[in-house]
Amino acid sequence: MFTISLYIASALSLAGILFQIFKLQKTGSAGLKLHTVKSNLAPAFFNTLFQTKLFKASRVRWCIHFLVFSGFIFLLFFHALDELVSNRIFSYYQPTVDPYQFLRNFAGFLVGTGCLGFLIKKFHIRKNNPRLKSGYNNLFSIFLTLLVILSGFMLETSKIISEPVFMEMVEDYAGIDEDSGLDELKIYWEKHYNVVFDQLSYTMENAVEEGEIINEDYCLDCHSKISSAFVSHLLSRSLKKSGSLLNQYRADRIFYHVHYLLCFLMLISLPFSRFFHILLIPFASMNQKADIEDHQKLKVEFNPVTLGACTDCRFCSDVCSVYPNYAVTNNIRVLPHHKIEAFKNIITGKHLHKDEMIRLKNANEACTQCNNCTDICPSNIDLQSLWVKLSDLLCKPASGKTDLPSDFQLTREHDISYSRTSFKNCAQCTICTNVCPVVLYSSKDENDMTPQQVMNLLRLGRKQMAAATLMVNNCLTCYSCQENCPSEIRVTDIITELREASAKAGQS
Amino acid sequence: MIQKQKISCNVMIIGAGFAGMTACARASELGLKTVIAGNSSQFYFTSGLFDLLGVYPPAEGNVLKTPEEGYVILKKELPDHPYSKTGLKQVQNSFEFITRFLKSAGLEYRSSSSGNISVLTGAGTFKPSFLVPETIKKCQMINQGRKLLIIDFKGLNGFSAKQVAAGLKKKYAAPHTLSIKLSTQKDVRAPVHLASMFENSDFPEQIARKISSSGFKADILGMPAVCGINRSLDVLRKLEKKTNLEIFEIPMMPPSIPGLRLKNAFEKQLSKINRVWFLNQAKIESPVMNENKFILNAVNQNMVTRIEADCVILASGRFQSKGLFAHRKKIFEPLFNLPVYQPEHRNLWHHRNFFEKKGHMINSAGIETDNLFRPVDSYGSVIHKNLYAAGAILAHNDWTRLKSGSGVSVVSACTAVNDFYNRHKPNSGSSSE
Repeated sequence: MFTISLYIASALSLAGILFQIFKLQKTGSAGLKLHTVKSNLAPAFFNTLFQTKLFKASRVRWCIHFLVFSGFIFLLFFHALDELVSNRIFSYYQPTVDPYQFLRNFAGFLVGTGCLGFLIKKFHIRKNNPRLKSGYNNLFSIFLTLLVILSGFMLETSKIISEPVFMEMVEDYAGIDEDSGLDELKIYWEKHYNVVFDQLSYTMENAVEEGEIINEDYCLDCHSKISSAFVSHLLSRSLKKSGSLLNQYRADRIFYHVHYLLCFLMLISLPFSRFFHILLIPFASMNQKADIEDHQKLKVEFNPVTLGACTDCRFCSDVCSVYPNYAVTNNIRVLPHHKIEAFKNIITGKHLHKDEMIRLKNANEACTQCNNCTDICPSNIDLQSLWVKLSDLLCKPASGKTDLPSDFQLTREHDISYSRTSFKNCAQCTICTNVCPVVLYSSKDENDMTPQQVMNLLRLGRKQMAAATLMVNNCLTCYSCQENCPSEIRVTDIITELREASAKAGQS
Repeated sequence: MIQKQKISCNVMIIGAGFAGMTACARASELGLKTVIAGNSSQFYFTSGLFDLLGVYPPAEGNVLKTPEEGYVILKKELPDHPYSKTGLKQVQNSFEFITRFLKSAGLEYRSSSSGNISVLTGAGTFKPSFLVPETIKKCQMINQGRKLLIIDFKGLNGFSAKQVAAGLKKKYAAPHTLSIKLSTQKDVRAPVHLASMFENSDFPEQIARKISSSGFKADILGMPAVCGINRSLDVLRKLEKKTNLEIFEIPMMPPSIPGLRLKNAFEKQLSKINRVWFLNQAKIESPVMNENKFILNAVNQNMVTRIEADCVILASGRFQSKGLFAHRKKIFEPLFNLPVYQPEHRNLWHHRNFFEKKGHMINSAGIETDNLFRPVDSYGSVIHKNLYAAGAILAHNDWTRLKSGSGVSVVSACTAVNDFYNRHKPNSGSSSE
């Protein structure tokens, strides 16, 4: 029964993982490349085991996370998979013997504390920071973990206090009855192992001492002092009064099923909840990040599967340079984590409303590619490439066909507007705007951008958008801007070049 | 296609800012063959006011009524300051020369018999200056008795009448403000565009009508400095006549129209003289110093000019115009690699407090020279007898705090040119031709 349900849960989980990956992969490009994996192996290893990036992002959160992580890893390998791991490594392994008994409690305690820490952070601290304010959609995984831990402790506690379990053990291992000291053993176990017995006569003298001797003979090999299981020990003490009631209904059996069910639920929900990040952070960490030059050349690949590694921690929004844009426009899509959500929706085929798409496009265009989000992302997702990918997606018409050929590059390497040095000196001093006759003779609606704004678009890497501005297409090529530019930027040459490039693109 | 040309000249001026242009004006007046290379667009950042010495000692923020007051102390405290090398008289002479030169280009500058003029700025504060455009000078008429009206233009970037009025309120009764909406379809945001509109024949009349119809009773009127570009004084007079008010301009944020007028005046006047070559936006590369000659290449987008010069005046300015380059650890002069006077460590460049009254040490960094503005090496000996430095690049010259930028530029430029001329007068005709 147990094995069958384990297999069912594992199969469901595996199917879920494949389904999720397939869903994300549908639109995406290539997977891992071997040479990038090699070069990223060490950082990926450290980030997976010690969450180095999270440590850099926030110490407090790292502490909380590491409590859960370390405890959970211990429980997984030395408790859940004890037949495969503990039994083989340690020759005298018994779950009820120290130090395993103590360590199990300690690990459970760590996970429980960590989960509580997450909850406190979520409900209390985040209220004060509008950037980090989040909904309650991620509570599922926290509560599930907490329930698994709680049910585990309750299982242990109910076993400790259980008289029936005690009696079964005595029958199996000691084979003693009332005449040969069962009562003494009972008295000793009630005192030192917190078992709750229904009826017990305290009439005997020296019962405890005799019980101790019997205990040494039959039990001590497999049962360390219960006080080392400190959480369950405390719980069993406090449940002493209701102990007989619990024993009557065999609470140990109930909690046994509950605990296993919750664990299976956790396994099944792995690919469908925040637990997915456990599997995908190592994967995301191994992916190569595109650097600034790749973005310049618009040669970016983004693997959408890495999005599964997102834990919705919102550090990206906390460091986002264009947060003021959100403060003014109230367009929530400016914030990176909202963009990620929208991106997931788009690639998994959910239909967004047209207005929502426009808001998303505006928001994504506000990005300055400062790389702050990629730098901080504890899950190591290449967010910068994601934004480039997103702007590509948003440029495409719904049919999926673009107007431009896929290998189209607006500017080529020998062009002036290609090289960053040709406009990086722009100080936005407004002189080109001031001397431009096109700006003077066209009203605001007729001319969307001024020369300085075109230069700024180029600096932001938005060549396509710059080429599409009316300024570029209305330019008289009078060279006033270029002659007057104090930074000696070849404004007119750049504008002319952009116009030619977009005209060529239109023909092809 | 890159073309090549060769020029030989007496004076090669590197930098077309205020110092470079002044040197060029002076050299051309003395009959020297001159080449000037640089980017005159930096004039958009100058206020168009000529300061001599406005504040001294700067740590006390003591605003001077006359430059002479401060000069007495400055000479004692800062023996390396460019003024201490020339004396105040020579600064005034240089200013007289430049006033004359600009007047011939149609740009009138005025000084006051009583020393410094306090000029009303776009922030509503007063700034001491020595020589100001005629169009600005009437701000001296502001006093308790006269009713003041300040106007601005709807949509114009960088100027607000209300801000000026708020600044003035501390000293004088709050002036009236008026915001003028242009009758054109759109807002004019760029000051240069608005200034060029003022040159249209009927535009000043329109504005005058709007001011008169507003019904404010005032004696003097302050407006942002957008009153025409090349015929500013005519436009202002016309406006005064139509409104029956005394009108003055208030300098505003860059791009500055008085600066543009100055640029145009210099360019107009210098282009008339055929002894002068102006290589706009040319970058100077690979200079060679011989005993008597300099050989430099001026590189344009499509032209390489090889220049042979008897004398070089380095007026390339400071960091923004790349006359000085701040490396991670050190400041250096990129063209001739001249020794730069500078604080020992980068940590000392700036004070922690941005508004520190003692100023920032980096502002005193620059090229050290002898009394004739020839750069010297660390032993104090002249690097080349015909290499001069002029303007903001000079060391010991914290001009933003002393309000002495224009004065240092003109005096160093004129002194350098005069010195070269005096030493080469006898054979200047034969050697260059």
